Amino acid sequence: MTRFILRRLLSSIPVIIGIVFLVFALARIIPGDPCEAALGERANEVTCERYAVAHGLDKAIIPGIFRVPGGAIEARPGEIPATFLDNQFVVFVGDVVSGDFGTSSKFGLPVTDLLIQRLPTTVELTLYALTFAIIAGILLGVMSAWRRNSFADVFTMLIANIGVSTPVFVLGLSLAYLFAIVLGDTALELPPSYRLSPGTDVPTLAATWGLEDLGGPLRSILDFMSNIYTFNAIARADWALLGDVVRHMILPAFALGTIPLAIIARITRSSLLDELGLDYIRTARAKGLRDRAVVLRHGLRNAMLPVVTVIGLQLGSLFGGAVLTETIFNLAGVGRAVTEAILSRDYAVIQGFTLVIAIGFVLINLLVDLSYAFLDPRVQQR
Amino acid sequence: MTAPVVLEPPVAGPVEDGRAGARPASLWRDTLGNILRQRNAVIGLVILSFFVLVAIFADQIAAYDPIDVLIGDEEGIKKLAPPCIHALGCPETMAEHYFGIDGNVRDVFARVVHGTRVSLRIGFLTVGFAIVIGMFIGSIAGYFGGKVDNVLMRIMDVLLAFPALLLAVAIVVVLGPGLLNAQLAIGIVAIPIYARVMRASVLSIRERDYVTASRALGESDLGLVVRRIIPNALTPLIVQGTLGVAGAVLDVAALSFIGLGTQPPDAEWGSMIGIASNSMFVAPHVVLFPGIALSLTVLAFNLLGDGLRDALDPRLNR
Amino acid sequence: MTRDTRRSPILALLATAAIIFAACGGAASTAPSSEPTTTPTQGPTAEPFDGNVYPEDGSSACGTDGYNGQIGSIKALDAQTVEFTLCAPDAAFLSKIAFTSLGIQDEGYLEETGGGGEALFRNPMGTGPYQFKSWTAGTEISIEAYEDYWGTAPLTPNVVIRWSTESAQKLLELQSQQVDGIDNVGADDFPTIEGDSDLALFRRTALNTFYLGMNNTKPYWKNDKIRQAIAMGIDRQRIVDTFFPPGSITASHFTPCEIPGGCEGEEWYEFDPEGARELLAEGMAEENITEIVTKVSLREPPRCYLPAPLDIATDVQDQLQENLGITAEIDIIDTTVYLGIASRGELDGIFLLGWCADFPDVTNFLDTFFGVGQDDSLGTPWDDVTALLTEGGRTADLEERKAIYEQANDLIKEHVPMVPISHGGSATAFLADVEGAHSSPLNQEDFSVMKPGDRDQLVFVQNGEPGGLYCADETDGEALRICGQILESLYDYKVAGTEPIPNLATCEANADSTVWTCTLQEGITFHNGATLDANDVVTTYAVQWDAEHPLRVGREGLFEYWGYLFAGNLNPPPPTE
Repeated sequence: MTRFILRRLLSSIPVIIGIVFLVFALARIIPGDPCEAALGERANEVTCERYAVAHGLDKAIIPGIFRVPGGAIEARPGEIPATFLDNQFVVFVGDVVSGDFGTSSKFGLPVTDLLIQRLPTTVELTLYALTFAIIAGILLGVMSAWRRNSFADVFTMLIANIGVSTPVFVLGLSLAYLFAIVLGDTALELPPSYRLSPGTDVPTLAATWGLEDLGGPLRSILDFMSNIYTFNAIARADWALLGDVVRHMILPAFALGTIPLAIIARITRSSLLDELGLDYIRTARAKGLRDRAVVLRHGLRNAMLPVVTVIGLQLGSLFGGAVLTETIFNLAGVGRAVTEAILSRDYAVIQGFTLVIAIGFVLINLLVDLSYAFLDPRVQQR
Repeated sequence: MTAPVVLEPPVAGPVEDGRAGARPASLWRDTLGNILRQRNAVIGLVILSFFVLVAIFADQIAAYDPIDVLIGDEEGIKKLAPPCIHALGCPETMAEHYFGIDGNVRDVFARVVHGTRVSLRIGFLTVGFAIVIGMFIGSIAGYFGGKVDNVLMRIMDVLLAFPALLLAVAIVVVLGPGLLNAQLAIGIVAIPIYARVMRASVLSIRERDYVTASRALGESDLGLVVRRIIPNALTPLIVQGTLGVAGAVLDVAALSFIGLGTQPPDAEWGSMIGIASNSMFVAPHVVLFPGIALSLTVLAFNLLGDGLRDALDPRLNR
Repeated sequence: MTRDTRRSPILALLATAAIIFAACGGAASTAPSSEPTTTPTQGPTAEPFDGNVYPEDGSSACGTDGYNGQIGSIKALDAQTVEFTLCAPDAAFLSKIAFTSLGIQDEGYLEETGGGGEALFRNPMGTGPYQFKSWTAGTEISIEAYEDYWGTAPLTPNVVIRWSTESAQKLLELQSQQVDGIDNVGADDFPTIEGDSDLALFRRTALNTFYLGMNNTKPYWKNDKIRQAIAMGIDRQRIVDTFFPPGSITASHFTPCEIPGGCEGEEWYEFDPEGARELLAEGMAEENITEIVTKVSLREPPRCYLPAPLDIATDVQDQLQENLGITAEIDIIDTTVYLGIASRGELDGIFLLGWCADFPDVTNFLDTFFGVGQDDSLGTPWDDVTALLTEGGRTADLEERKAIYEQANDLIKEHVPMVPISHGGSATAFLADVEGAHSSPLNQEDFSVMKPGDRDQLVFVQNGEPGGLYCADETDGEALRICGQILESLYDYKVAGTEPIPNLATCEANADSTVWTCTLQEGITFHNGATLDANDVVTTYAVQWDAEHPLRVGREGLFEYWGYLFAGNLNPPPPTE
C-alpha cells in the first residue's frame, strides 16, 4: 500500500511541472496586446510603453523572445546573454515557488487575494451541485435497478438521458426564467443570480474569532473558508445567512448538477444490476432475506466502486461546466474570472488561476485513485 | 462539459485477421443484431437518421436562406416575430415562418435546419480527429512501454489536469475564434481519453498468444500494431467515441455560445442560442428551437453510444 | 466580503480621526461648522496660508519647451481660492472641471497612501454625499451616506452597485424585484418595461456617434465618388430602426444635436440607392475596377455607441450587396487589438467604430476624429477641416463657434471621411416606486436624489466591475459612475443633464477667458474628517498634470483623462523610439 501511494505521488510531480510550463506558455501565446486590452480607446504608444514597464512586459518572455507592442511575438537572438535570467519565465517560476502569483493588471490586486475571493464561489457551487447529483443520482439509480423495467425505471432513465443531453446554458436560462419570473411572487420564487441578497454583510471568520492579527498562509486559508458562505454561516451559527446562501445556490446547483446526476444514476443502475445478478445475491434471496435488505445491504455496497470512480471523474466536468453556470447566474467564480482574464490579457490572473485549478485537479485525482485503491486492493497490483 | 465516462475498456474476444472473410461478417452481423435488440440504440439511430436526412435535404426542407436578412423582402416583417403557421391560425396574409424570426430578421426554421449540417459535421470530425490522434499516441505508449509510455502518458495527464472547457477556451483564444479552431480545441482536449482507452487495450492484447505468435513469425512492430492490435482495440474506441460525439457537439456549442465558435452569419445551434439568449424572455422561440434540436442530437448520440456499449460489451449483456 | 478594506488604511483612518478629534477638542464629529477649521493634514500653522503653486516656481508652462498642454499654471491664492491660467481661451473649461476624473482628493490622504496602491484605489476618499463602505470582489460595491455631508443629505442611506453584462439577466433581476435599477436596458426590452406598471424606463439622450469608417488611402476608398456612394447607398434608418433601442436617432451630423453647436450645417445624405449606384459606377470607372470585394471589420463586444456589433455588421454586409452590389465579408478582429490596428491605418475595409461623449462639447467629438491629433484610421486628414476645428476650440463665443462648425460639418459631408450612422439611445430602468429615478446623458446617474419606496437600500446593476476607484487614474465609465457618488469636482453636471453647475466652487473668468478664479465653499470636509481647502485642489490637479509628480502613482499610473481634457503634461516623458 505505502509503495503504491509513494509511486502515485511521485508520478504526479512531472505532471505538475508540465502544468507550470503549459500554463506559462498558454498565457504568453495568446495573441493580442495586453496594453490595448487594459486601456481600450486610450491605448497609444506612450501609454503602452509605460504600461509594459509597469507590468514587466518589456522583459523577454524567455531568453531571446520578446513581445513587441501591438501583440506580435518576436525573436531577438542577439539579446540573449544580457537577459538570461531577467525574463518573464524565470520571474514566474520564482514567484510560483515562493507562493506568489503576481499582481492582476486589471485590478491591481495580488492574484492570491483574488483567488481567495473567487475560488470559494466555484468550490461552493461545485459542492452543492455534486451533493445534489450524488444524492439524487444514487436514489434514482437504486430505484431503477430495484424495480427494473417498471414504469419508474423507464421514466427515470428517460429523465437521465434527457438530463445528460441538455446543455447547461439551455437548462440554466430556462430555470432562471421559470423560478424568477413565472413563479415570481409565489413561495417557489428563487433568485436568478448572485450568491447573496444585495448589501448582505458577511463578517469574516477572522473578525468573528478575533484572529485579525493572524497572517501568512493560515490567514489565507481562514479567509478562503470564510468566503465559502455556507461554511461561514454554519461556523457562526448565522441561520439567516445560511438560508440566503442556499436559496441562491439552488438554481445554479440544479443546472450544473443535472448532467452528473444523470450519469451517476445510470452507473448506479447498471452496477447494481450487475451485482444483483451475482450468485451471492441469489443465495441471499433464496435464504429468504427481505428484498430491501438484499438490495441495500449487499448489492449497493458492492456496487458503489464504479460509482465512486465516476463521481471522481465528474469533478472535472463540473468545474468546466461551472464556467457556463457562473455566466448564466452571474456568480463571481474562477470560471468567469479566467475567461475575463483571457479576454483582457491579464496574464498574472490567467496563470495563477489555471495553475491552482490544474494542481487542485491533480490532487483530487490522486485522492480518488488512492481511495479507490483503498476500497479495492486489486488495483494496487496493476 | 461532459467528460465521457471512461469505463474499464471492455475487450471483446480477439478479432481474427480481417482478410479471412466469413467470420468477421458474422461477427458484424451478430453485433448489428445485438445493437438492434437494444431499445436505446434503436431510438438513438432513428433520431440520428432523422437529423442526417434533415442535413442532407436542408435546402429542400427550408424555404428560406439561413443567412438572408428578410427586411425589405417581406412586407411588415419584424425582428423576433413569433412563429407563424397558417394551420395554427396565423393569418394567410403573412408569410409562414414555422419557428419565427430571429434578431437579425432571418428565418429561424431555416437556421435550425441548416444548423443540423454544422452540428453533425462538428460531432464526427472532432471526435474522428481525437480518436485518430489518441489511437496513435495510445498505441505507441502501450506497445513500447517504458520511458516512451511514461513521457506520453504524463503529457496526457497534464492535458487532463485542466477543466476541459477552460483549456478549450484558452486554445481557441490562442488560435483565434472560429468553428474550425473550436473543433480543433475540443478535439485536442479529448485526445487523452482515447489515448488512455487505446493504451489499456494495447496493454491487455500485447501479451496474448496470437500476438506473441505473430511476433515470433517475424512480423514488424508496425505491422503488429496495425494488423493485430488496432483491430482488436477498436471496440472500446467506438463505444467511447459515440458517447464522445455527444460531448463534442455540446462542447462546441458551448464555445459558440460564448462567442468563440461558429462566427456569424453562419447558422449553428450553440451560437444561435448564445446570440439570442438576451432576447430569451422577449422571444423564447429564438432560444427554444435550436435548444431542442441540440438536445435531441446529443440525446441520439448518447442513446446510440449506450446501446453500442451494451451490444459490444458482453459483460453488460443481459 | 472579507477583505473589503485593508487593515492598514483602517488603522490610518482611525489615527487620522483621533488626531482630528484631539485637535478640535471633540467638536469635529458634530455637524459641519461654518468657521474654517484647521486642516489636520497640514500641520498646526494655518496662518498665513501656505498656498500650493504649480509649476512650483510660479512661472507659466505655456510656450515652454516640449509642452503642448492647455493649462499654464494653477495657484492656491488663499485657503478658499484657486486660480487657473490657460494658454488659450477654452470654451469648454467649466465642462471639463466638472468631470469626475477631476474629483477633488484630500492632499493628506494622497500623501498618506503615497498616491497609489490598494489603500487609495480600493478605498476612495472624497467629499461626496456617499462614502465608500465595502467592495466584494466580483460581486458588489457598497456605499453609505456620509453623515457630515455639506449639501443636501442623500435620500437613501445605503446604495449597492452590482454588475452584469447580460441585459436579459439584468431585466430578470429587476422584474423579480431583486434590484431597484439597471443600466443599459436591452434594445428588445424597451416595450416590456414600458408595458409593465411596476417598472419605469428612463431613456438616455444620445451623446454618442456610431460610424462606418473608410481609410482614404486604401484602394476603393481613395476615390471620393465611391465614398459618397457608400454614404448614399446604406439605409441608415433601417439599421437604426432594427438594431438600436427606441429613442435612437439616425445621425444628421457627426456630433449629436444635444451638444451646443453640434449639428450646424447641412444634414447628411438621404438614402438613395439608385443615385449611389450611379456614383459608384462613375467612381469605379475612374479607378478602372469592375468589382469591389471588401470587408466589414468589427470587434464583437457591444460598445456604448453600438449595442449589437455583429448583427449590425451583418446587416451592413447585406446592404452593401443588395444596394450597391459590393461583396463584403465579415471580419471579426480581437477586441484587444482592434483599435490599434484601426489607428495605425491598417484596416482596408469598411469598419465599425464610434465615440461616446466624455464631456459635452463639440471638441470632444470633431477634434478627436478630424482634428490635428487624429489617428490614421481614416487616412490622410483634410486640412481645411483641421484648420477650422483648431479655430473653433479656441473661440469662446457660442455664435461664432456655430458659424465655424457649420463650415466644418459641410466640409465633412463633402469629403465623406466616414458615414455617421446613429446616435444610439440607451436607457436605465427602475422599479416604479423609486422616487427621483433618472438617467444621465453622461452616465453619471446621481443616486443621492433617489428614494426607493420604503426600502433603506438602493440596488443598481451596471455593466461591469470597475478596475479601481481612484478615478484620476480610471477611464472606465463603470468606475466613474461610482466615483461620482463619492467624490466631487469643482463643478458638477446638472442631475440628468450636461450643463455644468457650481459645486465645490464657483468660478469666474477674466475678460478673455484665460484666467479662471474659483472660490471654494467653506466648511466642506472629506470623509476622513479633513477640511477641503485650495491646496487639495491644486494637488489633485498637479498629480495628474505633472508627469514627474512624486504622488503620481495611481493604479495604472497613466492618468489618461488629463491628456484628454487638457492635452499635454508638465515634464512630459521624453519621446521614445
